[in-house]
Amino acid sequence: MQGEHLEEYGPKWSDQRAERLLGALVCTVVALLLALIVTVIVRAWPSFAHNGLAWFGAGGSVEDQLNQVYLSGLGDAAHYVYTFHAWPLIWSTMLIVGGAVAIAVFCALFTSVFIVEFAPEWMRNVLQPVVRFLASVPSVIYGLLGVLVVVPFIGNHLVTESQKSSVAGVISLSGYSLLAAVLILTVMIAPLMVSIFSDGLRSVRPGWLEGSLALGVNRWRTTWKIGVRTARPAMVAGTVLAVARAIGEAVMLAMVSGSIAFAPNPADGLIFVYEPSRPLAPTIVKNVEALGSPPANSTLFAIAAVLLFSAALVSLTGWVARRAMRKYGATA
Amino acid sequence: MRIKALATWAVALLALAAPASAGAVTLIGSGSVAAQPVLQALFSTYTKKINHKVHFLYTANGGNAGVKDVQGGKSQFAGQARTPLPSDAGTTYVKFYLDGLCMDVNPHNKLSNISIQQTHDIYRGLITNWGSIGGSGLDTTIDPVGRDTNGGTYNFFLQAVLNNELPSSNVNALTADGLVVNAVKQDPSAIGYAGLAWQGRGMKTLKVNGVPCVPKKISVEPLKYPLSRYIWLVLPGDGSSSPKALTKFIDWARRSPLAGEVILKAGGVPAFNKKRKRHH
Repeated sequence: MQGEHLEEYGPKWSDQRAERLLGALVCTVVALLLALIVTVIVRAWPSFAHNGLAWFGAGGSVEDQLNQVYLSGLGDAAHYVYTFHAWPLIWSTMLIVGGAVAIAVFCALFTSVFIVEFAPEWMRNVLQPVVRFLASVPSVIYGLLGVLVVVPFIGNHLVTESQKSSVAGVISLSGYSLLAAVLILTVMIAPLMVSIFSDGLRSVRPGWLEGSLALGVNRWRTTWKIGVRTARPAMVAGTVLAVARAIGEAVMLAMVSGSIAFAPNPADGLIFVYEPSRPLAPTIVKNVEALGSPPANSTLFAIAAVLLFSAALVSLTGWVARRAMRKYGATA
Repeated sequence: MRIKALATWAVALLALAAPASAGAVTLIGSGSVAAQPVLQALFSTYTKKINHKVHFLYTANGGNAGVKDVQGGKSQFAGQARTPLPSDAGTTYVKFYLDGLCMDVNPHNKLSNISIQQTHDIYRGLITNWGSIGGSGLDTTIDPVGRDTNGGTYNFFLQAVLNNELPSSNVNALTADGLVVNAVKQDPSAIGYAGLAWQGRGMKTLKVNGVPCVPKKISVEPLKYPLSRYIWLVLPGDGSSSPKALTKFIDWARRSPLAGEVILKAGGVPAFNKKRKRHH
């Protein structure tokens, strides 16, 4: 009876039901992802085609260009305007993401070393859940914190009147600034890094650390030379994730970075960090209502394509770096 | 768009929860943030006192976005704070109630009156220091704050103050009226604009051309307070295809004395509502 039963339904199919179902699911997800990429690129193409490499360059006011692009879309297709030079947005993204990631890597590295290697047991038990919780706080909460606390503090206490008047009429130094954006973004992405860095540090083989300690190398040197070195692939992975989150962050940055597509100029001296700017992702958020105008639609999709491409590039760089470091062992 | 999706889900959930009250109608609207406090007050009064079976779902995503929703069939009506533009084809604008766009400064500022010309010059970047404006008691750099392009308030300000020129680059364009209020409240050198309903929340309301921004002075025909405006309801097509429940609500909101009181209390100025007879 039992044998008949098996033959009737075929052992092969019933055995493979799970993998075929899951396989189909994965294929659907991959197909959707491809469709997404293709849609974004197709929609973005007119904007890139009309501007060429100048799309990434500087020139003119981004605000005026976006306005012209939007208005031309209300007329007929023959007179669509696509001129758009995104450099202030790209520069702002680079500054804010770069600044935040640089500070966050530094802080996260030492925090995770402390949590894993030096913190007493009770403290570790408190810190770990707190860090994991912080890593999952929605960004809009950080945005509120920025608007209610950080921005007014910078505007009222750090920026001086002479600094404000030196750029009067061009930009307002009212607290919505590079500094506010970098600070809050750092707070946002650092817990993510700490969480992944400490996973990496924990997965270092205890024998390697013990061996080093047995040779009489002190605890700090052991941690630094063996633990941190071995966990480097995990650190790259954590940094990649954090960079990707930082590049795509829109809501919080739209709230605190200032809303002007201005390219902060390091040559301005200290004022530089108080200058407002607007990265790529918040530009999309702020202009959603222009989506009805075809050329504006294309321009916003072009921004989306650049974001997508940067995220992919970051992942790729991370993958290459991890491959190169695979011989060191520990991964998260 | 995310807000829209959320709203759709909320409606779906409401629809699941609704069978208890059979025959109930949910009217879906979106648009003006400036009109939100008044609309919400009218909605809840209507559902509580006039017709229990009519419910409302309003997403404040900005007047211009609301009109797009009506054009795309995603909303049955939209709140709008500016006059019709050519891009609003296929919609009907209905005058709803009156609102004043008030100019606000921080309470530290001693200024009490500002002219349209001065406001224009500030937002065009021609005047950048409070010292150039007599009576402010400040000599700091002005931090002008405004709305971003998603708001009908922005378009109204552009038309009424800036002669349709774009604001200068030193104007900080924020995404919501609440953020404008917050910015003015926290920065002694700031100046901003917001509707009547937002006044008095830690900001100082200025007279414009000598006329105070108070309900009594808000009028378009004849124009008294210079930044008076109609808040409009935007309907698809010529308005005749709207559901009965919606037209009934609009009629009630525009005409009834009760709705007039609700509008006034929520920070608007009733334009067409009959006055309740006074008993001495």
